Amino acid sequence: MLLIEQLVKRRGSRTVLDRIGFHARSGRVTAFLGPNGAGKSSTLRILLGLDRADGGRALVRGRPYRSLRDPLRTVGSMLDGSGAHRSRTARDHLAWVARSNGIPGRRIGEVLEQVGLADAGRTRVGRYSLGMGQRLGLAAALLGEPEALVLDEPVNGLDPEGIRWIRGLLRGHADAGGTVLLSSHLMGEVAGIADDLVVISGGRIVSAGTLDEVTAGHASLEDAFFALTGREQEAAR
Amino acid sequence: MSFWSTLLAELRKTATLPASWVAGTVTLLGSAGITVLNAIGTRAALDAGAPESRSFVSVFETGYAAVPLGTVGAVVIGVVAMSSEYAANSTDAGSGRQVTATLAASPRRIALLGAKALTVALFVALTAAVSIPASVGVARLIIGGDASEPVALDVALVRSLGATLYWTLTGLIAFAITVLARSGIVPLVVLIANSSLVSVSMLLTNITPLAHWLPDLAGRRLFGGLSTVEGGLDAGPGALVMAAWTLGLLAVAGVVFSRRDA
Repeated sequence: MLLIEQLVKRRGSRTVLDRIGFHARSGRVTAFLGPNGAGKSSTLRILLGLDRADGGRALVRGRPYRSLRDPLRTVGSMLDGSGAHRSRTARDHLAWVARSNGIPGRRIGEVLEQVGLADAGRTRVGRYSLGMGQRLGLAAALLGEPEALVLDEPVNGLDPEGIRWIRGLLRGHADAGGTVLLSSHLMGEVAGIADDLVVISGGRIVSAGTLDEVTAGHASLEDAFFALTGREQEAAR
Repeated sequence: MSFWSTLLAELRKTATLPASWVAGTVTLLGSAGITVLNAIGTRAALDAGAPESRSFVSVFETGYAAVPLGTVGAVVIGVVAMSSEYAANSTDAGSGRQVTATLAASPRRIALLGAKALTVALFVALTAAVSIPASVGVARLIIGGDASEPVALDVALVRSLGATLYWTLTGLIAFAITVLARSGIVPLVVLIANSSLVSVSMLLTNITPLAHWLPDLAGRRLFGGLSTVEGGLDAGPGALVMAAWTLGLLAVAGVVFSRRDA
């Protein structure tokens, strides 16, 4: 469903992404794991057509994101919070998002209900907490009933109840045949959700496979994570 | 995702952005307020039987005098349409910027920019269509019907449309510059100062007559009838020059916007 191939991104003289590749399959939750600054967000931004790659490609169902017709009906995404202007209400934010992709207006109430913001729909986004912003971002991602969800650090700012809720939501989406790609630097949260793991460090993929494959030979995902990313950092020195 | 959907989304976005309504309302109330002051002076002069002592004896001229300053409102509408995309949310709410959501929803960037430009033009024109008649109406209310009206209706209409065009082009120029700047602060300060306090272009005419070809000066005769510095282009050619600047800046903004990382 989501395919990343030989992706290269440079910022000035620094290579942020060095020929990375992986895919996120339908019916599975793929976690994109790595320390801060490893290149997770850069990869997702290229996948969503926000930034340009200096090499390689990122495809959604075989096509670049920018060529999708009504992209929100295929891929729902959330990067850095809700993406809503602080002086707009949640409803007004979702209303223009829906309008832009020909999504029926009834979905606005439905997704607000689904993410638990039904009572805060007429509150200005500037007054939201971090957790509420995350929920609004998810509402926007779910708006077009997309097949794939691409979420950057979705558990950031959520309380334990919220984390439990989002796990259920993403599991349900994958079990219904959808694709979920989420990035995180929090191993504990990811271990409870992911089917597949892709570990990135210093702009390179250091490991990819099912949860069992990646953690094989390590006591826990956390051990595996530090072993994989630490080794890479030493090599870079 | 048709252009139509993108346009409707952008119209909705601007209509639900408090800053655009504040800009429109301040333009309306500001020009009405200035007109009240001017009209009271004109009325007093008429009552004293000395209309010559006022430069504006006509109702239309009294109301219209506030219109050039309304350009400031057009600047604000043009700037906030784009700067709101780049304004960071509070860190409490994830410090994201709206442009991410906008480009995820409408990844065809030239179409997006076109929809935004059209939205700016419509909002500025709407503001003009309300503010200019309102100012003239306020002047008429205060001065009353007994003043002779030297400005014919068709001339008044042409000048109002000219002012609307000037505002709209200025709003679009402000928009294009904000696309390039990715922030509203610098464009707002520079353009508001230039159209209200000190016109930099006007000062430049002292150095070189080429300054008359700068957009704000080239189009200034669109207002018609007002006393302004001598020289420069007539209304028709001036409007064309100003429109060419606008299209040129929008084209540059389009190229940069479609190539740059969000």
